[in-house]
Amino acid sequence: MLQIKELTASVGDKEILKGINLNVNPGEIHAIMGPNGSGKSTLSNVLAGRENVTVTGGSLLWHDKNLLDMEIEERAREGIFLAFQYPVEIPGVGNVYLLKAALNAQRQHRGLPELDAMDFLALVKEKMKLMEMNESMLYRAVNEGFSGGEKKRNEILQMAVLEPELAILDETDSGLDIDALKIVSNGVNSLRSPTRSMILVTHYQRLLDYIKPDFVHVLAGGRIVRSGGPELAHELERDGYAWIAESGAYGVGL
Amino acid sequence: MNPYLEQCQVERQKRQTDPVDSADQQRRALEWQRFDECGWPNTRLEKWKYTSLSSLEKLALPTALVRDPGFVMGSQDFLRADGLVISWVDGQIDLENSSISELPAGVEILFWSTMTPDERDKFAQLLVQSRRLSALGALNGALLSEGVWIRVSPGACLEVPVFLIHQTSQSCAMHLAVVVEMAVQSQLTICERWMSTRDQPTHVNLVTAFHLAEYAQLTWIKAQQGGNGSYHTAGLWAALLGHAQLRLYPFGLAGSLVRHDIQVLLQQPRAECTIRGVYRVCDREMQDFHTSVEHLAPHCTSDECFKGVLDGSGKAVFNGQVRVALDAQKTQSQLANHNLLLSEKAEINTKPELEIFADDVRCSHGTTVGQLDENQWFYLRSRGIEMETARHLLVHAFTREISDAIPHAGIRDVMNQWLGDDCYGA
Ligand SMILES: Nc1ncnc2c1ncn2[C@@H]1O[C@H](COP(=O)(O)OP(=O)(O)OP(=O)(O)O)[C@@H](O)[C@H]1O
Ligand SMILES: [Mg+2]
Repeated sequence: MLQIKELTASVGDKEILKGINLNVNPGEIHAIMGPNGSGKSTLSNVLAGRENVTVTGGSLLWHDKNLLDMEIEERAREGIFLAFQYPVEIPGVGNVYLLKAALNAQRQHRGLPELDAMDFLALVKEKMKLMEMNESMLYRAVNEGFSGGEKKRNEILQMAVLEPELAILDETDSGLDIDALKIVSNGVNSLRSPTRSMILVTHYQRLLDYIKPDFVHVLAGGRIVRSGGPELAHELERDGYAWIAESGAYGVGL
Repeated sequence: MNPYLEQCQVERQKRQTDPVDSADQQRRALEWQRFDECGWPNTRLEKWKYTSLSSLEKLALPTALVRDPGFVMGSQDFLRADGLVISWVDGQIDLENSSISELPAGVEILFWSTMTPDERDKFAQLLVQSRRLSALGALNGALLSEGVWIRVSPGACLEVPVFLIHQTSQSCAMHLAVVVEMAVQSQLTICERWMSTRDQPTHVNLVTAFHLAEYAQLTWIKAQQGGNGSYHTAGLWAALLGHAQLRLYPFGLAGSLVRHDIQVLLQQPRAECTIRGVYRVCDREMQDFHTSVEHLAPHCTSDECFKGVLDGSGKAVFNGQVRVALDAQKTQSQLANHNLLLSEKAEINTKPELEIFADDVRCSHGTTVGQLDENQWFYLRSRGIEMETARHLLVHAFTREISDAIPHAGIRDVMNQWLGDDCYGA
């Protein structure tokens, strides 16, 4: 359902993605690992439609539609969800307001009626229980003053409420304590389904113990330099990324 | 002489044939003379550098004596809070829609139109400094059409606010005055709302004076919601004695041209003044706030913050003065002005001016001009929120900090609503 072909993209005049190829089919979980600064967040942002990243070549197809023709909010309504590496604080906008507005925007897009306040709250509270979040967080401003781990949980709460078809989790595991990692992983696992796919960006094998990926890719220097099964993550955990430089796979410019 | 002033001359003649209160006639003559000396404000004057009255000059606006029969009162459902309502149409008291027949103990309300000559004389004296804030104050003195004098006696604490609700039914000019006298340890909240319900040229020329005795507390909220063609010029002067507390919340939400001159004198130790304001302009609108806080005694506190939202070809001016006199030691003062520019055509001129003569003080000031935050914008849209909604949310969030500071819950809720739909709860 997601097809990325020879994708190149830059920020400013700096080329960051240098020809990415990746296919994600329904129900698949792809883990993307790779050194700092290799372009993982940039790829995630391109999928979500961030405007400061310019796509300079290649193609992005979503259910055979050109993703590049779609506005940020349209992609979201079509079922693409990005859990941010650094969730944004929005003072003055209530968390519960955002959740409701987001859910209703999506329902409207699908031709469904708005959820009334009661049903909506019941749904959100159920998902909060799953994430073991305190209900008081609903009535705080979006991410404002949330701890690092609370922000990450809030991202997954949004995902659980919105039930996207493709979830891109950009380092959702970093900053989580051991218990929180389990809770977040449970939340994610509860959303696994044969029609829902995920891209997990992570630095650590540990997350993949909880959420078993079908494929593991190594992104380095703006390219996917290796792909394999779950065992690749173990290998990376053991050996690090030095082998990439040695093999020359890092490519030009790094 | 411009068409506006020519009409003012006509209005003067009318007033001179009113039943004679010779002292009043004399005061008006002196004020007119003073106005003549000051002259019509023009952009060559430092205080009017960015704010041109040239479009007002062209309007010959009569004083309305009879309300347009086709006029329908605007809805007042916003008055969710209990209170004493003084309703005005075209600058005249509309007793039918007011609720002041029974006043709580400790408060007295007088209207200029029914004052004795003696009371008018005192009323005018209480407004002397307010009328000196700009040439338009002198014009107000010459042409005053109505006014209200609110007196709160020692120790009286009014639990319900006084609402001054102004509407217009036709094109007209109004020269109005408000005096609030707060005796020792008295407390009051006043909320003004200014609407011009139809898109017809109107000019409100207002002077206000607040006199706060020791330990008095006054909270004042103003919502300026003029339509197309509404001009509003207002001078507010306040004097605080020891331990008095004044809180001002002016909200310039809409209007063709809105100018505020605000001066607060902290005259005795431990007086406190808080100002939290918002101005919001869109295409062809202009808001101008000139504020001045004077620390004249030691141990006084002032805390001022204005936030501006500028869209389309809107313009705004913020000039914030803080003066600390030589013997006003231990002064604490903060001044901030933050602006959100939503369009390339919008224009803001902001200038903090600090004049500090004392040496043992804590004074700070800061000004920012910025755009919508790109990260917040992306974040909201990535959740499926439409561009317009995302923008609206972020703009409302920006000004919300100011409206949230209003102590009275009922008024705060309404103001939040006026600043944008409620976007906090579900
Ligand atoms: N706005 C920007 N301006 C300039 N350079 C940028 C910008 N955004 C990203 N980059 C650069 O692009 C490169 C890739 O960044 P990206 O955030 O995609 O890396 P990453 O793989 O997610 O790294 P990490 O593991 O540290 O999160 C980095 O060198 C980064 O400095
Ligand atoms: Mg990253």
